[in-house]
Parts: sequence; C-alpha cells; structure tokens
Amino acid sequence: MKKRIVAALMAATMTIGLLSGCGGKTTAEATSGAAGSTSDAVASDAAMADASEVDGTEITFWHSMGGVNGAAIDTLVKKFNDENELGITVNSQYQGEYDDSLNKLKSAQIGNMGADLVQVYEIGTSFMKDSGWIVPMQTMIDADSYDVSQIEPNLSAYYTVDNQLYSMPFNSSTPIMYYNKDMFAAAGITDVPDSLEAIGEVGDKLQSAGAGEAISLGIYGWFFEQLISEQGLDYANNGNGRDEAATAVEFDSNGAAKNILTEWKALYDAGYAPNVGRGGDSGLADFSAGKSAITLGSTASLKQILQDVNGKFEVGTAYFPKVKSSDQGGVSIGGASLWALDNQDPKKLRATWEFVKFLISPESQAYWNAQTGYFPVTVAAQDEAVFKDNIAQYPQFQTAIDQLHDSKPEYAGALLSVFPEARATAETEIETMLNGTEDVDTAVKNMAESINKSIEEYNLVNE
Amino acid sequence: MKTKKGMNVTPYFYLIPSMLVFAVFLFYPFFKTIYLSLYKTNKLGEAKIFVGLGNYTELLTSASFRNSLKVTMIFVVIVVIGGMLLGLLTAVLCNKAFPGIRVFSTAYALPMAIASSSAAMIFQIMLHPAVGIVNKLLGLDINWLNDPNTALYCVAILTAWLNSGINFLYFSAGLGNIDESLYERASVDGANGIQKFFSLTLPGLSPIMFYTLVVNIIQAFQSFGQIKILTEGGPSESTNVIVYSIYRDAFFNYRFGSASAQSVILFVIIMLITLVMFRIEKKGVSY
Repeated sequence: MKKRIVAALMAATMTIGLLSGCGGKTTAEATSGAAGSTSDAVASDAAMADASEVDGTEITFWHSMGGVNGAAIDTLVKKFNDENELGITVNSQYQGEYDDSLNKLKSAQIGNMGADLVQVYEIGTSFMKDSGWIVPMQTMIDADSYDVSQIEPNLSAYYTVDNQLYSMPFNSSTPIMYYNKDMFAAAGITDVPDSLEAIGEVGDKLQSAGAGEAISLGIYGWFFEQLISEQGLDYANNGNGRDEAATAVEFDSNGAAKNILTEWKALYDAGYAPNVGRGGDSGLADFSAGKSAITLGSTASLKQILQDVNGKFEVGTAYFPKVKSSDQGGVSIGGASLWALDNQDPKKLRATWEFVKFLISPESQAYWNAQTGYFPVTVAAQDEAVFKDNIAQYPQFQTAIDQLHDSKPEYAGALLSVFPEARATAETEIETMLNGTEDVDTAVKNMAESINKSIEEYNLVNE
Repeated sequence: MKTKKGMNVTPYFYLIPSMLVFAVFLFYPFFKTIYLSLYKTNKLGEAKIFVGLGNYTELLTSASFRNSLKVTMIFVVIVVIGGMLLGLLTAVLCNKAFPGIRVFSTAYALPMAIASSSAAMIFQIMLHPAVGIVNKLLGLDINWLNDPNTALYCVAILTAWLNSGINFLYFSAGLGNIDESLYERASVDGANGIQKFFSLTLPGLSPIMFYTLVVNIIQAFQSFGQIKILTEGGPSESTNVIVYSIYRDAFFNYRFGSASAQSVILFVIIMLITLVMFRIEKKGVSY
C-alpha cells in the first residue's frame, strides 16, 4: 500500500511538473499583463526635454540583431556613446529573435523596467501601435521640426498610419530575385523572367541546360504577401488594415491568392519549383550550391549569397517576380523599425530621439547598409563615400534600390494584428496544397477561414 | 511539539520549504493554467471572456488538434521504443570488458551531453536534400524534412538517439547490479546467450527498465527544441506535436486560453499513462 501511494505521488509530481513547465511562462505573462492594463491610454502627449538637459541620461536599446548585423549595431552604439556631445549613454542589449524580444517586452513593459527604444519586426507594427506603450516618432519629429523628407518615402510609408509616422524604419529590406547568370547564358536566355508565369516558360530551357530545378522557391509567408502587392491587390479589408483595423482578409475575394497558388502549383507540378522547405532562407542553399537557376530572397541576403557562391558562377539580381507579367504592382518592405517607449521621462525621450537621429543620419546609414545589406533609410546616405564604395563592390545591390524606388507607397502592404499567425497559416496551406492533399481553391478557402477566425477572435478580446 | 491528541506536528514544519517552492513553481502555475484554459485571453494573456469548456470543445473538434494528438502518439512510440532499444543494446554490448571499451562507452553515452537544439542544427545540415551528407551517402534525393511522409520519422529518430545516451547509462548501472554468479550458474546448467538474456538479464533489469520507461515517455511528450528547429511543426503539420502546438498558440498566436487548455489535456494524457504504468508495474517488475 505504501509503495502504491509513493508511486501515485511520484506520478502526480512528474506530470504536474510537466504541465507547469508549459504553463509557467503563461502565468508570468498573465500576472504581469494584469498590472499593465492601467497604462492603456495612447501616450501621444508625452513631453520631450530640451537637448541641453539630457546630460548624464542613460537609455536602453533593445535589438534583435545577431551575428554580423549585431556587430554593426554595437559599432554604431559605441560611436554614438563616444561622440555625442550631449552626455547620453546608450546601453544596447540583444534580446533574441524578434518574437522573443516582443514577448520579453510585454512582460518588462509593465514595471517600466524595459527599454526606451526597441526594435520590432514589421508584422508587429499593428500590435505596437495599439499597445499604448509608445510615443509615435511623429511626436518627436514635430517637436524637433525634423525634416522627414530625408527618409525614403517607400520605407516610411509602411510605418505611417493616419499620416503619423509611428516608428522609425531602421533595417528595411525587400525581396529580390537572384539568378545564376552562367546557367542563363548556357540556356541562351537573355530576357530575365519578370513573373512566376515567365519563369515557367523558361523552366525547360534552364533545366535542360543543367539546372536541377528552375527556381528554389521557399515557402515563405512574406513572399506570398509580396506576390499580392505585386498584383496591386489588398491582403485585408479596410484599406489593407490601414484605414481602420482589418476585420477580414481580402485575398480570397479579390482573387489574389488564387492567382498566386495557381502559378505556384503549376511551377511545382512541372518540376520547376520543388518544395525546398519553409522560411525565407530555405531556397538559398540550392542556389548557392548551383542546383537551382533562380531563387528569391531578401536583399539583406546578398552578401551571404555572394559569399556562399564564392565565384563559382556569376550572380545576377532582378526585380522580385510578379505573378503574371501583366500585373501592375510593387514590392513592400520587410525588416524592422525602432519604437520609442513611453517611460514618462522627458529626458529619456529626448535622449532616445537624439540616438534615433544619429542612427538614421546619412553617415550611420551608409555604414549600416554596407555592413548589413539593409536599405539606407536616409536618401542622403547614397551620397556618402561608404555607400558608393559598397555599390561599386556589389553592383547587384543597385537592383534593390531601383526596385524600391519603382514601387509606390500604396503597395506598402497590410497591417494586421495577427500577422505572425496569418503568415504561418499561409505557409501551412501552401505546403499542403503542394503536397497534393488539397487543391488551390480549398487552400485559399482554408487560409481565409483560418485567418478570419483569428482576426475575429483577436478583435473580440482586444477590442 | 505535540498536539493534545498526541499527533506529532513537528515533521510537517520540515516540509514547509519544499512546499513553498512547489507552491510557487508548480501548484500556482498549475491552477492558473486550469483557470486560463476556461477563458479567452487577450494579447497580454489576461483572461477576458469566460468560455467555460469552450476552449476544450473547440480543440477536440478541430482537425488540427486531433492531428496533433495522433502525431504526438506516433512520435512518442518511436522515441520511447527506439531510445530504449538503442540504450539497451549499447549497454549490453558494453557490459563485457574489452579493449577500447571506454571509447565505446563514452560514444554511446555522448548523446546525453548534446543539447537537443545543437543536435537538431547538425541534423538539419546532414538531412539537407542538396548539400546534406545523408542523401550523398545513400545516393538518394529525398527531401527528408520537407516531405510529410518522412519528416516525423526524422525528428523522432533524432530524439530517440538523443535519449539513448541517458538510457545507456541507466541500463549499464542496472546490468552492473545483476549478480555475476547467476550467469555462471546458468552456464553450468547449459543456458545459451539468448536464454540468459531473456531469463536473467531482462528480469534483472526490470526495475530500472520500468523507471526508464516512465521517464522516457514523459521526456518524449516534452520534446520541443528539435521540432522547433528542424520542422516548426510542418510540413503540413505532420510534426506538430502537442508541446509545439502549445508553444505556437501561446507565444506566437498569443492565445493563452487555448494553449492552457492544450496543456491541461496533455497533463491528463500523461497522468493517465503514468497511472496505468504504475498498475502494470506490480505485475511485470520483480524487485
């Protein structure tokens, strides 16, 4: 009997341990969340101290840049700390990936223990805007009479809602098409395809000229969104979620998703675009290994690709493909932006703003661009010597700049509170469709239904 | 310290420190999870709308969650059987002294020292269809991690291998406890190796085997890192085990209510399995 009790206890403890392992974090979120609901008002009346008063102010900057990009941030921060004449010290902290950083922010924000400036990915924009924790960049821009015409309009368009620039674009990228020039030459193709449809037309030529696959097309929600923008159509209703919060997706009713999936499936069925996996980088390995003739990837991947290819063949860049060559649209941006948090401290706010101004100065941006491959946020950065040297060394980057300039603010892409989930849903459905378990129409229908349900639930509990 | 009835209360005071730790880190989160599972939560994880068992009925009727249950079961079976067989096999092999045994023992125990995430990253490269060594060696062109038919097996086998290290250690310890003279007597009686294994080794190992089984099952249910890195629950949710699905719902979709409900369901499943196993223990295990 005794042993039985011991055994039962052991079982219970082990299983409880398991459950609380999963639930523990949830609880931390929940309890801290309760305290935070008091500060729900939008804090646009935040005051900013004068630049002369900030001597000795220390601010905390949370970012999500690891590796090479992280080193570049550290250099910029150090430079600012050494050189600024206002006596501001910036304490920069790497907080893990974008998702992790946002989660930490939620818990930390409650006790004002968090950051003064935080880098949040583009799909967190809607969340941050509605969080009530932030001071819109516009407030500081207006108070300081800063000249915003310096900022690349197609970048700031993404983060502008109701004519207010909410956050400062910092690391922005667009996807572009990378192609293997040697393979194209071998196949005798002179016109680089500008759409998925056109890729299908040259698929046979490329594959008979030695390409294992015409395109290594990673299943990535971002690409799906871009292909909608490229058609000039909306992802969600209410003006892509920019006039007011979106209540449903629109890509099902306006045909955008069906067009994409039909072409994608056609490429897949013809063997031109096999399933290379999920995520933005999944197609890069095949391309660098010389197996695929084309891949899609972020502009920020350019250096990595050139490094991996290492001169085995010549890498060409072209605009991100449309769905059909007749489509009229443009690319939208991805990446992250900087959000100023409202810590009820005019001095810190001023210090934060001074730091932001430093980060988007032409000099910093030229350095940032050369180190990372993200766009220079400031137009004048293109006049800097660092930028010119970099373009001379990597002429492929010019494609990215041209593509960005050829796009329009109206293709800035959607704002959606449940974007991270919506992106994953799109990926899962595309995957399922490629595997042949459901057809295009079902995939689109499931995608829309699932995302709409999430939006509905989100709007219900977060009114 | 004694009460009137003569009951000794002093020992209970000694329990206070551990009970405090349990209360803060186990019982409170436990009950909070149950509480949250009855609500729809907002983006900060605050309970907003009471839905009673709504989250549960939603889960149990959702094809995605039923798929998660199925996937989890397959995963656990492969991981537990694979991990234990591998551990047992290697432990039996290393039970005899021979030159170089230390090298082998270390190699077999090594998976225990490898973090699941780092192993996953290595396997990710090895299993890559274009540049991975697995396809190169086998001369195949299989997209291991992106094919719904193979992805789950890849993740499960990796996990089984990772778990085999600690199992090897348990079984080695268990083998060392079996009285050597039993084998000598069996040899004198003319028993062959296979007979000895099934009549002496296995029964001798049964207590440790039982413990290992319980731990392995719980561990298998909790596997997370390798799935997050290798497949993110895909392709087409074919590796979306419950723990990963909980993570997605809580920290990605910010639906703590639904995630809590899944946690509770997982808890019930594991508790039932564990209780059943302790029932079986009485019949099958000889101490």
